[in-house]
Amino acid sequence: GSEAAGGEQRELLIQRLRAAVHYTTGCLCQDVAEDKGVLFSKQTVAAISEITFRQCENFARDLEMFARHAKRSTITSEDVKLLARRSNSLLKYITQKSDELASSNME
Amino acid sequence: MSCEETVERLLRLHFRDGRTRVNGDALLLMAELLKVFVREAAARAARQAQAEDLEKVDIEHVEKVLPQLLLDF
Repeated sequence: GSEAAGGEQRELLIQRLRAAVHYTTGCLCQDVAEDKGVLFSKQTVAAISEITFRQCENFARDLEMFARHAKRSTITSEDVKLLARRSNSLLKYITQKSDELASSNME
Repeated sequence: MSCEETVERLLRLHFRDGRTRVNGDALLLMAELLKVFVREAAARAARQAQAEDLEKVDIEHVEKVLPQLLLDF
């Protein structure tokens, strides 16, 4: 029925997204490998990719909660900054990027 | 899929409310945050391998750095 088709669609989407995350993870690991003069095993790249993919669930749920708490249904930069609160350097980095976006939006 | 579209779909996969949306700036920032996450995971695992005098980074190195990584994010 249409419910089964919906489930299959979702599975296909999940596979596509996993593959996209895996590809980007590979590229970023390659950068770090060159930077540090190390080699990443295939399994290591796959593991980091999987961890990242799963972490998106926590991020998504938190972001949704933050927006809802502010009585919004649209997630904004403010919500992403809240997400980055645990590390000073990460928060600083995200705030900086956010300011850059805000000033380029004003042009 | 563009980077933004990928991030949007990644997040939307887990939203509980059908009305939840993500604006453009938030998508770009999340793309950045995810890149930092991956780079941090890779860099910390690499440093762990190097601390063990190894040039090859394996899963055990990721496992060792994972708890602190998740706490920092």
